Amino acid sequence: MKAFAAIVKREFFSYFVSPLGYLVLTSFLLVSGWVFMVLVGALNSPDTPRMALMSTFFTNVFQWIFLMLVSAIIAMRLLTEERKSGSIETLLTAPVSEATVVAAKFTGAWCFFLFLFVPTGIYPLLLSRFGGLDLGPVLSGYLGIALIGALFISAGTFASALTKNQIVAAILAFVLILGSFIIGVARDFLPFPGARDALSYLNILEHMDDFSRGIVDTRRILYVVSTVVFFLFLSTRALEANKAR
Amino acid sequence: MLEAQGLSKSFYGTPAVTDVSFRVESGEILGFLGPNGAGKTTTMRMITGFLAPTAGRVTLADVDVTEKPLLAKRALGYLPETLALYPEMRVREYVSFRAELCGVPGRDVKAFVDEALGKCFVNDVASTPIGNLSKGYRQRVGLAGALVHKPKVLVLDEPTVGLDPRQIVKVRELIRDLRNDHTILLSTHILPEAELVCDRILIIDRGRIVASGTPETLRHQMSQMPSVTVALKGEVPEADAVFRALPGVSGASRIGAGGETRVLLDGESGTDLRESVFREVVTRGWTLLELTPRQASLEDVFVRLVSRDADVEADTQPGVDPGPQGPAAGTGAAP
Repeated sequence: MKAFAAIVKREFFSYFVSPLGYLVLTSFLLVSGWVFMVLVGALNSPDTPRMALMSTFFTNVFQWIFLMLVSAIIAMRLLTEERKSGSIETLLTAPVSEATVVAAKFTGAWCFFLFLFVPTGIYPLLLSRFGGLDLGPVLSGYLGIALIGALFISAGTFASALTKNQIVAAILAFVLILGSFIIGVARDFLPFPGARDALSYLNILEHMDDFSRGIVDTRRILYVVSTVVFFLFLSTRALEANKAR
Repeated sequence: MLEAQGLSKSFYGTPAVTDVSFRVESGEILGFLGPNGAGKTTTMRMITGFLAPTAGRVTLADVDVTEKPLLAKRALGYLPETLALYPEMRVREYVSFRAELCGVPGRDVKAFVDEALGKCFVNDVASTPIGNLSKGYRQRVGLAGALVHKPKVLVLDEPTVGLDPRQIVKVRELIRDLRNDHTILLSTHILPEAELVCDRILIIDRGRIVASGTPETLRHQMSQMPSVTVALKGEVPEADAVFRALPGVSGASRIGAGGETRVLLDGESGTDLRESVFREVVTRGWTLLELTPRQASLEDVFVRLVSRDADVEADTQPGVDPGPQGPAAGTGAAP
C-alpha cells in the first residue's frame, strides 16, 4: 500500500516537472474556457432555448474530443517511458507486484486528469453569482467526468503497456478511447433491436448526458468501473508477458 | 543467502544462459565475470525476479523468487546495468521514493535515506536534480537507492561501467565497505576489478559457468606449468643445457642478452624449480642475480577461458587447457 502511494505520488508530480504537463494544463484551460465563454454568449441571444448551462458544458462533443486527445497524451508515457529507459527494472525488482505498478500508474495519471478540472470549478461559482445554479447536477456531472476520464486513462495505460514508443502509445490510446466512445453511437446503424439495446449501455455520451442531468445510474458506474478494471488487467498481463519472454 | 540452481533462459529458443548454479554465502562478495554478451545480465535479471527463468530456481534469503516474489524481493537491493533513474527528481526525493517502494516505515524513511546518502557519499548533492549529475554521482545515487532499505543481498550489475578511473576506484572502495552489511553479487567484464573486489569469482561464457573459485585458486589452476626466470652474472654459455638437465624442467630458453645471462625455465606441473636451480647455481659457482617465479596472471586465465577461437576446447575441458607454450600473455580483456 505504501509502495502504491509512493508510485502514485511520483507519477502525479512528474507531470508538474515536464513541459508536457503544463502544455496539457494550459491548452485544456483554453479550450474549456472558450467553450464556457461561447455557452455564456449563447445565453445572451434570445433565440437560444432554455438550457442548464453546466449540463451543456459537460456534454458538448467538441470538449469531449479534446478530452480524448488529452487523455491519450496524459497516459502515453506511463509505462512506455519506464520500459524504454529501463527504470521499470527498478520498479519490478522492488517488492511490488505488476498489478500494483499498473494500478498506481493509472491512479497517478487519473489524478492529473482530475486536476485539470479543478480550475473549472470557477464556472459554476460564476454562474451561481449571476443566476440560479442547481448544485446536484453539477456534482454528478463532475462525477461523470471523473468516471469517463478513468475509462479513457485506463485505455491509455493499456496502450502504453504494449509499446516502448510514446507516439505509438498515444495513437493507439487515442484509437482505443475513440473506439470506446463511438461504439455506443454504432447502435443507430444496427438492424437488431437487441443489439441496439446492448450497445446503448456502452454509449458514453448518453452516460454523460444522464450524469449531467443529475441521474446517477449504478449500471453506468458499473460499466465504467468494469471497463477500467478490464484494461488494467490487460496492462498487467502485458507487463507480465515481458517477464516470461 | 543467495542460491541459484540450474538456471536456464532461452529467448525464442535461443539459449542465453544454460544450467547456471551457484551459492553466495552471507557476507561474501561474489564476482560474476564474463565478456559482454556472456549472459551476466540475463542471469542477474533472473535472480532479481525481473525475468522468469526457463528452468531452475533462485532463492534469496531462503525464499523462492518465483513462488513468493514479494517476500523474496524484500531482501534484495538491485543496481541494474542500464542505470535508469528519474532525471527530474532530486537525489533525496529519489532515494526516499525507493525507500517507500521497498516498504520502509514512514517514520524511518528519513533516517534510512540519510544513512544511504552518507554511505554512498552523495550528501553534497542531496537536493540536486538527478539529470544534472555526472555519471559517477548518478551511479552512486543508484547504489544509494538500491541499499536504502538495508537489504540482505545486493546485486550490482556492472557497477563501474562508464566511470572515469578515479570514480571507479571510489565505487570499488564503496563496494568493499558494503560487505559488512550486505551479501554482494557483482558482475563485471573487467578482470582486475573482480580480482580486487571479490572473494570468489565465477567466470561465465556463452551462458555457462566455465570456472569458479577464489582469485588464488583460479590462478593456481592455470599455473600448472610454473615458469621461473633466472638471471646470472656474466655470459654463461652452458647455462641452458645445465638447467635443462635438472629434474622437473621441461624447457629452457635464453631471453635477452648483454652483460648477463637470462634463462626462462618451464617446469612440469606441480613442481617448484627455485630450490634446485639455486643449488645448481651455487655448486657451479655462478653468481645469481635474479630468480623469479612467473605467475600466470588471472588475466591469462580469463582470456584463455573465454577466447572465442578455442570454442571446442573450452567446452570440453573448462579450465584445464594450458597450452604447450605455457600461459599466454594475452591482454585481450584489458579494461
